[in-house]
Amino acid sequence: MTSPVHGPAGLSTTSSHSADPERLADELSRNVQRWFGRSLHIRTIDTGSCAACESEIRLLGAPHYDLHRLGFFFTPAPRHADLLMVTGPGVRAMDPALTKTWTAMPEPKVVVAVGACALGGVYPTDAFTHGAIDKVLPVDVYIPGCPPSPIALLHGLLVAVGRLVDRVGAQPFTTTTTGPAAASPC
Amino acid sequence: MSLWFLRGLRRGVVTTRYPKTPPDPWTATLPTPPSFVTDRLDIATADALVAVCPPAALRREGLELVYDVGACTACGRCLVVADGAAVPSGQIELATQRREDLVKRVAIEGGVQ
Amino acid sequence: MTSRTTAGPRHNPVLAELATGIGSPQPLGHDSGTLHFTVTAADLEHFTHRLAETAGARLADLFAATGDPPDQVVLNMLWALDADDAYLLIQTQLRGENYPALSDIAPAAFVEECEIFEQFGVRPAGDKPLNRVAVPPQADHDIPRLGAAPRHVDGEVHAPHAVGGHAFEFPFGPVRASAQESLYYGLVTSGEEVVDLYLLTWHKYRGLEWRLQGMLPDAALFYVERAEGLSAVAQAWAFAAAVEHATGLRPDPGASRTRALALELERLYNHAAAIAALCQATGLSVGQAGAEIALERLLRVNAAVFGHRYLFGVVGIGGAQRAPDLGPLQTELPEAVAELRAVCRLLSGTNSFLDRLEATGILTTEQAVRLGLVGPVARAAGVAIDARNQHLQPPYDDVAVHPAQGTTGDVLARYQTFLAEIDESARLISELARRGATAGGTTSPRKAGSGLGWAESPRGESLAYVELDGDGSIRRARLRPASARNWRAFDDACRSQNVFTDIPIIEASFWLTVAGTAR
Repeated sequence: MTSPVHGPAGLSTTSSHSADPERLADELSRNVQRWFGRSLHIRTIDTGSCAACESEIRLLGAPHYDLHRLGFFFTPAPRHADLLMVTGPGVRAMDPALTKTWTAMPEPKVVVAVGACALGGVYPTDAFTHGAIDKVLPVDVYIPGCPPSPIALLHGLLVAVGRLVDRVGAQPFTTTTTGPAAASPC
Repeated sequence: MSLWFLRGLRRGVVTTRYPKTPPDPWTATLPTPPSFVTDRLDIATADALVAVCPPAALRREGLELVYDVGACTACGRCLVVADGAAVPSGQIELATQRREDLVKRVAIEGGVQ
Repeated sequence: MTSRTTAGPRHNPVLAELATGIGSPQPLGHDSGTLHFTVTAADLEHFTHRLAETAGARLADLFAATGDPPDQVVLNMLWALDADDAYLLIQTQLRGENYPALSDIAPAAFVEECEIFEQFGVRPAGDKPLNRVAVPPQADHDIPRLGAAPRHVDGEVHAPHAVGGHAFEFPFGPVRASAQESLYYGLVTSGEEVVDLYLLTWHKYRGLEWRLQGMLPDAALFYVERAEGLSAVAQAWAFAAAVEHATGLRPDPGASRTRALALELERLYNHAAAIAALCQATGLSVGQAGAEIALERLLRVNAAVFGHRYLFGVVGIGGAQRAPDLGPLQTELPEAVAELRAVCRLLSGTNSFLDRLEATGILTTEQAVRLGLVGPVARAAGVAIDARNQHLQPPYDDVAVHPAQGTTGDVLARYQTFLAEIDESARLISELARRGATAGGTTSPRKAGSGLGWAESPRGESLAYVELDGDGSIRRARLRPASARNWRAFDDACRSQNVFTDIPIIEASFWLTVAGTAR
């Protein structure tokens, strides 16, 4: 993945992720479908959300979305987890818990930043929060939204395991009065 | 217990078929980040948009509006201020592996006052 | 129904007696539903005693603000006179670093005393140990405060609970089950029974009240909604009403109905989510799936009516930012509510479910009053308080609310309170929709003033207090979601003859958020 591995502000990353990030990242993006394509266990962690993101994540397991049909499962233990969903802006008081959770996960692992707070949209970097999750952990997939709807979360999870391609890079988010510039809203 | 079983049978399947099918029709009611109408954007409008954006997802650099879709909460304040220069994009599948893909540069083309 | 139009102190025997010798209390801002008077620090104890002994007076909040000159601290004690449709704000300019220990008189003040010490460095007289509320131990020096940081913090008194005999302390959190908020439980147990339980809530404290300082109210509303996302409408309404009371704005009736529609929709989806969580906690997956189907449908109704599943961006200063689409309220909402009712009917006939709720997590009426609890938790314990009903504001002065009430104070009573409130909210929505709802009026005038606002969130009374400077910016904003109030009873509810597996059931029945208390 191209997301840089930061020298985490206040976090110590002692795993092999920081040993040779480029090589591992390449390997991960090549193999993510083979490793995680059919079964993947998700651990969630809240670093200062408003509780709306948690509510949407809980609904992923509800009958309308039923993420088990796609081979995803929630796990209560980080040691069984392949993917970490992080909500909230990275409150500094959660640093030790976040580090412990992340380092307890076996390699290879995927970090998904969930919601506008986690992407740096709501809180600035200050004494309370890091302001965004990619300032403390190497983030593999970003899911915008406040909160992201369960459909957006499903899309993000499927992008994370390489079962859907991300399309937002090709979207210009512009249009003109005479007609759509490059892409129209769907 | 048999009542629960019967209820389950009667209720049928509600599960979405996404991702095999496009997102369900109800998702059209979800808030989405704006698209900008470039020929309606002038500098004054752009500055008004930057000022009203609560999460600072917008900033202006010369004749470009730098727009961070990742920071956008789709609160809709810009749609009110923009007077037609911003419309909902309708995009909900926004997840990406590259953070920089979420940062858009929007040309401010409606410079004529 | 009466509508308050004249600003002026009303005649009230309790107030008249209290006011003897200090002049009658004056309305706060442009709102005669809140009265305030100033007492000296020497009289504070006396007034607290008298209010604590007054039936129908409830300590709703205690907070401090920077005084004038800025090195002094003003203590604000807020009492709700529920029987008299009034809030009473007692302000005291403190001199020195101490004030009388109010929690010795009104135990509901304790959490706030700890909070005031952290934020302003003033502490109650005596040497009672204070708990950490917002400031994590590893960040004592770095965290910005609302006032001056305490000059001396006692050493950590972690786990002061006497662990003796066969009991041991079992730490749990802050990372808990999947998609749960971060919260630390210190569980003292002998293996099965909950001997004692304490909570640490500072892990996700985001300093919102500190952030709001200096902001204009319109910009601040964005953060107020995100203080507790699951009661975004209630908290935003309380805040907007505080600003309106401070500046003399009056939302038009259509906009106030828009707010009430959003507030009742918020109650519906929260109660559905609480019932789904109760099913999950009791291991009833079929019931959980049924309640979650109803919950998802309710959230989709929210999106169809207001364009947001969690109703962010509905409330505006002076009115509402969005007008509802009333169509789905007549078609999709009744279906979703019928679905929820059908599930609840089955649940209410399932003994394996009811047996887990009955006599679990009991709170007595006396406990609920003593701790100043609000919302379904208080109502289920027999304390009939509901801000919609007792602190009238449009549109509830026009559309009467019949609040639910239980007696037994256990989880079952809370579940039944949810059921009654679902019916009542559905009725209110159709009545409000019939009268029409509009948007409108969303800028606040740039002038100084103080005001208090309130709204009944799904968890209980949400309060907000603002002091505005002359340029309209916020000098002090106090947010008090219902969660900030009700968590303090959680340990009491868990202790009373409960075992480990009852804790998730009790937590679901409280249906609080950590975000609301660690705001």
